[in-house]
Amino acid sequence: MADIDDGRTDERRMLAASVADFARRATDMARVRKWRGVAPGFDRALWREMAALGWTGLLLPERFGGMALGFAEMAEVSRGLARVLMPEPLVACAVLAARALGHCDNEALGAELLPRIAAGELIAALAWQEQAGDLGSRAPVTEAALGSGRVVLNGAKRFVAGAAGADGFIVSARAGAGVVLVWVPAATPGLSVRLEAMADGRFAGRLELADARLPEKHILAPAEIAQSALDRAVSEATVMAAAELLGVMSRTLEMTLDYLRTRVQFGRSIGSFQALQHRAVDLYVQEQLASVALADAVSAIDDRPDDPTTAAAVSRAKARCSDAGSLITRQAIQMHGAIGFTEDSDVGLYVKRALTLSAWLGNSAYHRRRFAATASADAQ
Amino acid sequence: MTDWNAIGDDAFREEVRRFFETAYPQELRFLPRRLRWSECKPWYLTLARKGWIAPAWPKERGGMALSPSKQIIMAEETERAGIGRMPDQGITQVGPTIMRYGTEAQKQKYLKPILDGEHVWCQGYSEPNSGSDLASLQTSAVREGDVYVINGSKIWTSMSMDATHMYILVRTDRNAPKKQEGISFMLLDMTTPGITLRPIRNIAGHEEFAQVFFDNVRTPADSLVGSLNQGWTIAKALLGFERLGIGSPRRPRYAFTRLEKVARGRGLLDDPAFADRFAQLRLDLADLNSLYGRYVDQVRRGETLGPDVSILKIWSMELYQRIAELLVEAADEKGAFEGDVDFDDEEVDVLAPFYMSRPGTIYGGSNEIQRNIVAKDVLRLPGK
Repeated sequence: MADIDDGRTDERRMLAASVADFARRATDMARVRKWRGVAPGFDRALWREMAALGWTGLLLPERFGGMALGFAEMAEVSRGLARVLMPEPLVACAVLAARALGHCDNEALGAELLPRIAAGELIAALAWQEQAGDLGSRAPVTEAALGSGRVVLNGAKRFVAGAAGADGFIVSARAGAGVVLVWVPAATPGLSVRLEAMADGRFAGRLELADARLPEKHILAPAEIAQSALDRAVSEATVMAAAELLGVMSRTLEMTLDYLRTRVQFGRSIGSFQALQHRAVDLYVQEQLASVALADAVSAIDDRPDDPTTAAAVSRAKARCSDAGSLITRQAIQMHGAIGFTEDSDVGLYVKRALTLSAWLGNSAYHRRRFAATASADAQ
Repeated sequence: MTDWNAIGDDAFREEVRRFFETAYPQELRFLPRRLRWSECKPWYLTLARKGWIAPAWPKERGGMALSPSKQIIMAEETERAGIGRMPDQGITQVGPTIMRYGTEAQKQKYLKPILDGEHVWCQGYSEPNSGSDLASLQTSAVREGDVYVINGSKIWTSMSMDATHMYILVRTDRNAPKKQEGISFMLLDMTTPGITLRPIRNIAGHEEFAQVFFDNVRTPADSLVGSLNQGWTIAKALLGFERLGIGSPRRPRYAFTRLEKVARGRGLLDDPAFADRFAQLRLDLADLNSLYGRYVDQVRRGETLGPDVSILKIWSMELYQRIAELLVEAADEKGAFEGDVDFDDEEVDVLAPFYMSRPGTIYGGSNEIQRNIVAKDVLRLPGK
């Protein structure tokens, strides 16, 4: 499909091409189907290949073995891998968890963990939510008791992306009036992890912490830093989830257009019917709006992360990408007819990934509210 | 003569902004209707005297020869200052067409009077039986000696009552194998005997367009632009920039500011159901801004706009209507009041955007036609 020229740099085009090449070579729908509902839901060997290409450390500084690139590049990778429904938890680990770690001020622990993330040896997950629909507006119930050189955690965490197969968790907990972030290795006594099945065959983690004891040096950030580290990492991962949604919707629209061109009924291809043509155009309009909204959000978190308008740009992108992704995948079922409703059709895999990504890090209704609350009048 | 392109973008913007802020009449800013020639002629002449009336024209023809990026700055500042749209068909459509396809004599005869505001042009395209199917047009021009004799009728001719001239598509070959191949592009003096005008009042009560009748109108043979039967090609060459203009966020943004006034005045944002719809429209508008920006950047880079620019017109004009419709709903009983309505010390004409947003999905190629274009030329969906 003719994409509107968005003035991307040659470097980004080359990166996008190498992602597409990897996607063709390393995965297919049979592999995606194989891992559905089977813990950990992805292939650790392939994860190491992705690390070797630099993607798990793409955002990390060079001193930690990273590529020190920005979100424009990370969006290319996220979008390209989502087109083929890669189940590997790249955004959950390399963005949400790694960025939360990086924004903290525990240099020693960062220097120990981040190079291992870049190398693909360590998978980390951020455990920050406790209730559905609560994206950080309430203080965690999970409690961190500090004293005598250690921290003791009690509580529960839910909706932990990338928990299946994670080697450790960054857990948010209440300490006095503030929030701290604590590094909790998966084998810590007192930590139990259950997996909840999601629509797309991946898992959300449900953590129970019962007197989980960690040395004090596992505190990643004190209260004054932890909250902003958390907010910023969540904001960045939200934009990358929007990029994944764009990849999912673009590929789904291509599949649908191919079907419209080839499926023959009443002696002509169904794509020649005006009712379906106009509906396809409306889907294309939504995809293009998603693309421009995402581009704005990416440049906001890359170029002006502390600007007051950035929150609105992030929410606008996630709201549009969630809505457009849902619409395009649902309409793909309709335009494919009954075959689109079958287990055998790949359409369903795309529908379910769109559902999962839409619900993650705030759905469109949540981000519309947040956009309305943060958009200033002159931001129009 | 000033080389405007040698000035930095920011300095240029600054100069344009200052001039527009001081020189354009306050009472003509942000009007919800097209301006009549009598109202805007002084401003047209002010720009003409300053040498700013034709930003895109070459210097040797009296233009500013602005780079695409500076033309966009001019357009942005025009919008920002709330300057009303003038009869600009001569500058944006006829002039460039004559420069590209016209004879030297036509250039001498027509270009300068456009700059001087002596000639005001209107567009003679649509006919009573040729709307979306424009190429089926029937108004005919038949050669008799050294004149063409025109018979037929044009309709929805915007601002034709102010126009001194019309550029017109006429059928010059009824036997062409394709209907597009029998059409020619001509220039017509509106004072030629046989032309009559019937103004048409629109749904908002304004007379902004008319039906024009041609009864044995004899126009000199040199009225023809380009070659005979080449008119469709000439007309199509003018379309891309028109869609960028129609797709500008200006109109929906203006309707949104009215909606916001009424919503705040009535305390509607405390209602979560209303607030969600309001937020959705604000988000749709912000995304329109971004989409528009992407096409503007394309023009800035000197690239030609492709058929995908039609999505900008689709989104912009349908959003304009959605905003206007929520405005009517937000006003409750007052949503049925004609003219300015009082909301907590704010005067808002609730129905003006509702009326003025209706034709946007019809003119310039209806949104259904735009969808046909995108389906065929962008999505590569098959024809019959």
